[in-house]
Amino acid sequence: MSSRSAPPTETEIDLITRAQRGDRGAFGELVRCHREGVINVVYRMCGDANLAEDAAQEAFIRAWQHLPSYRPRSPFRNWVYRIATNVALDALRRERETVDIDALPLVASGQGPEAAVEGMERGERVRQAVLALPPASRAVLVLREYEGLSYREIADTLGVPMGTVMSRLNYARNRLRESLAPYMEVV
Amino acid sequence: MTEHVTAWLGAYHDGELQGRRLRQVEAHLAQCETCRAELESLRALAGLLQESPAAEGLTPPERFVAQVGLRLPRRPTRPAWQRGLEIGWRLVPLGLVGAWAFLQAVFVVAGLVLLALRLGAGGDLIAGLLPASPQAFWLLDLLSLSDAGLRDVGRVTLELWEGGGPLGWGFALNLVSSAVIGLLYCSWLATWWARRRHRAGGQTHTV
Repeated sequence: MSSRSAPPTETEIDLITRAQRGDRGAFGELVRCHREGVINVVYRMCGDANLAEDAAQEAFIRAWQHLPSYRPRSPFRNWVYRIATNVALDALRRERETVDIDALPLVASGQGPEAAVEGMERGERVRQAVLALPPASRAVLVLREYEGLSYREIADTLGVPMGTVMSRLNYARNRLRESLAPYMEVV
Repeated sequence: MTEHVTAWLGAYHDGELQGRRLRQVEAHLAQCETCRAELESLRALAGLLQESPAAEGLTPPERFVAQVGLRLPRRPTRPAWQRGLEIGWRLVPLGLVGAWAFLQAVFVVAGLVLLALRLGAGGDLIAGLLPASPQAFWLLDLLSLSDAGLRDVGRVTLELWEGGGPLGWGFALNLVSSAVIGLLYCSWLATWWARRRHRAGGQTHTV
């Protein structure tokens, strides 16, 4: 998991307040802090690194545009993730006709030849299985498994009830256990 | 053996269960092989999911931040409707004071006109109020012709204005409209105070 729920910091509150007044430098710092998490969420949602970077940039631009209406009732990270998830879904809708999930490039690995091939294949199958989930379930799974958000945080981020988070997560996991059954036996 | 707890195993695995439900799941797991296997399978899946590689070949952080910076509009912009709403909200007290002042002016003028009507000087007063123009002269001619009618209108209006209680309808109307405006102002003040507190509280909340 790339980042756990970060504790509130005075620095971040200060950065948000300054960015809300139009300070681009302060916003740049916020981008630097949340870049990795946002790219990860978008990448896990759409499965393409280039698309993920473009979508992450788009998410930050939308965040900048809507920053004056942001109220720090919920963590800034969750707010940005919400935007990122929506941007990823939009990007997926646009790219659906052009991107074939099975045809996505294999990601390079630095392991030894045999282990690398085996590891790469397994990792790739996992990635494809996640991408084959319905977007709503995928978003919940990504936020839980890769970003480590709690159910409450996922509910706030996606704007859905806690019960929905639980049922979508159960559905996603059951689907993944079915599709990844051959790989689970050897883990 | 108690009923299987399959539906709660995911939440248990994620550390989201508490209290009675947590104890129930733990007690069941201690005696149910099937649910233990199910939980093990969830743990295996979590491990397998981490094998999916993260995005590689990404733009370095500094360059990414710079690229975002270049694409940012000049300043954060609020939607026009939101800005309009905010300006309207801030102008509410001014509007209320204006409305109150306008009503008071109407009541004062109405009182003067009715006093003039009572004293029988309706036509003269209206003549004094009207500007000098051909239309005004034409109206004054009409008023002088129908002086009796005007007095009748004044008498009926006066009866209405002074009826309806010891202080008259005019006073009651003034009182009610002032009270409504006062109430609206107090509601605005309370909402403003609540919003201010909410914002102040929000600034110290988790970010």
